[in-house]
Amino acid sequence: MQTDLGGGLDGGGGGGGLVASYVYAARYGYSGDVLHNDNQIRLIPREGEGQRRLSATVWTLPKGRGVQYGDRFGNAVHRTRVVDVHTSFVVATAGRVSLSAAAPEPADARLEDAQSPPHGMEFLLPSPLVNPDSVSALARDVAGGGRSLLETVRRVTDWIYREILYKRGTTGVNTTADQVVEAMEGVCQDKTHLGLGMLRALGAPCRYASGLLTGQVGETHSWMEFLHPQAGWLGADPTRGVICPPARDYVKFAAGRDYTDVSPIIGSFLSKGEATDCAAIASVKFEDRESDLSEAIAMLKDAYVVATA
Amino acid sequence: MERIGADGLGRRWRDANRQADFDAFTFYLDPRKYRPAPTDWIPRVIPGEHWRVIADGVAQRLRAINRFLVELYDGEQSIVPPDAVYSSRYFYPEAQGFRPPKDVFVHIYGADLVHMGGGRYVVLEDNLRIPSGVAYQLKAAEMAARLFPEFADGLEIAPYDIREAYLDMFRSIAGSEAPVCVLLTDGKYGSAFFEHRYLSDLLGIPLVEGSDLYVGRGGRVYARTLGADVPVDLIYRRVEDLEMFVAGLREAYLDGKVALVNAVGSGAADDKLAFRWVPDMVESYLGETPILEQPKTYNPQDPAERVHILENLDTLVIKARQGYGGLGVHVMPDLGAADRARVERDILERPDLFIAQETMDFSDHMVFNERTGAMGRRNVDLRVFAVQNGRGETTVFPGGLTRVALPGGRITNNSSGGLCKPTWVAG
Repeated sequence: MQTDLGGGLDGGGGGGGLVASYVYAARYGYSGDVLHNDNQIRLIPREGEGQRRLSATVWTLPKGRGVQYGDRFGNAVHRTRVVDVHTSFVVATAGRVSLSAAAPEPADARLEDAQSPPHGMEFLLPSPLVNPDSVSALARDVAGGGRSLLETVRRVTDWIYREILYKRGTTGVNTTADQVVEAMEGVCQDKTHLGLGMLRALGAPCRYASGLLTGQVGETHSWMEFLHPQAGWLGADPTRGVICPPARDYVKFAAGRDYTDVSPIIGSFLSKGEATDCAAIASVKFEDRESDLSEAIAMLKDAYVVATA
Repeated sequence: MERIGADGLGRRWRDANRQADFDAFTFYLDPRKYRPAPTDWIPRVIPGEHWRVIADGVAQRLRAINRFLVELYDGEQSIVPPDAVYSSRYFYPEAQGFRPPKDVFVHIYGADLVHMGGGRYVVLEDNLRIPSGVAYQLKAAEMAARLFPEFADGLEIAPYDIREAYLDMFRSIAGSEAPVCVLLTDGKYGSAFFEHRYLSDLLGIPLVEGSDLYVGRGGRVYARTLGADVPVDLIYRRVEDLEMFVAGLREAYLDGKVALVNAVGSGAADDKLAFRWVPDMVESYLGETPILEQPKTYNPQDPAERVHILENLDTLVIKARQGYGGLGVHVMPDLGAADRARVERDILERPDLFIAQETMDFSDHMVFNERTGAMGRRNVDLRVFAVQNGRGETTVFPGGLTRVALPGGRITNNSSGGLCKPTWVAG
């Protein structure tokens, strides 16, 4: 399967931004023959907030048949269904984006002005992994009762950065915001969920962003975006302790209420066996070149083991 | 009723149940427990004038939905928002660009209707994948006519014969005068195995399980028999996941080596969110006004509609988009406070999995309580069956299967414990 999604209005130039190229690969292993494998892939760069998509390609091995569509949050989804019998499954993506280099410098706003319905409302409600009520007492303690939007976001982001220990392997993809408070440790996904719960409890609409950190080789990353009444969606990264970072820090694939809306790869397979292992790796470089499938596959030898059964 | 008398009714009722038991007229909820399909034998009689509207309306929906599926897999449709249809688990990307034989996706269609009174019928659901019930309709109506002939006194009951319509459909789809057809069943422990066996007998086509079929020489599908293996032209399938039953079957189908009834991918229009746009399909594809109404359907993913749903939650029905058999249906006015709160939370957390509909206050019908000997009334719906042949013609079978809700309930599906009721069209 290969799909070229293209993108970019001027056919390749950066339009004043920095051009970055990214490659991502994931491999799934199974203990038996898989008869069909049906997945929704959200690994195509999003447009907006200082990012433009110049090119994007999605491959799977074995090849499948696919469709692209936009989901209700405006993310590009590539759904592909493999019907050849297989015991391992690879998803690879690559492309180029143009990223704005300047950090946004928004004027401050009052917390209550951030709630501009109907758009913002969805991002204040509970979602499967984030129940604002479960962390509202903590949120009020940390925020200290201020009415400034930027100050509130900064306090919450800094508190999580300092107090929640970055630790792999103790939490999973279904860990909820309140469980993160209990454990006081986790990875970027957990820190993001906790931050979202706290900001929503304080009345600031915010969403989960998923993508890659630029300039490094690693796994996928996640961070928060909060809604500013004038400047729109702005970043806040509790794993890095940064608010309002420049777009050049990330390649953003998707945004939603929490991880369940934006899982990079989610689907189902039919097999008498089970999924045994999953490994993934990604790389982003500030250079203007197209990567191919063989490059993505070659990266897999250094992949991070994401899960083992 | 007077002529039979209360004692007579009880005795006849037990006879009818015993006969259903002997005839293996079953609908299994638990495959380990043999039990006849629970039936209320007092027939429901639909006046001919009502029936003509129902039949026209059902045929109209079938034509419009089929056209939608053709356009969808051709990559053309613009009626249902892409997210709603492409994210459905019953949309099959591998069928993209595929045109089924004679452009028929939905050969057998089951429409679930309720009567609002005064001849006004409303469609609640379209069943487009592997709808079951047509044999229950036939068997229940036939047994009622035979065992309770007094109920038919003075009525002119519309005859129906599904055999010719089915066989004609098979021939026209397979494009041959004498196609080799088989009925693929999920086995004798499947809930509707009675129907698979009944239709196999009635239509004179072999009943096969997955292990009886294989994909052989030239990609054709063969049925194992005691003599030579026979190439199969058409499979009337009563299973959803083909690959689980016969390796390579879906590919053989997409390569045009065998015909399937219903086609792969027809379930994309079975989604309860896609349902909302059926009236638009009728108007856009057929240029007609929808004959049958349907309840207003709200999408909790839409911010404005979500507000409406939350403000009116206590009056709505919440349905899981891809549920079937009455599973995942919550009639909010009939629920207690704790259940309502749970459903509200579910819908807020996963608005992509649910739809909301206005609650229908539909008609009830007389039922007999065998244990107490008393008459009562319970809510009923009506599943009407139609077939579409390779010439694009539709046949709607008079009557249908009436399903009776549990006392006080509004969910009638047999999978949820409802009863069958014989249904006649008269006059």
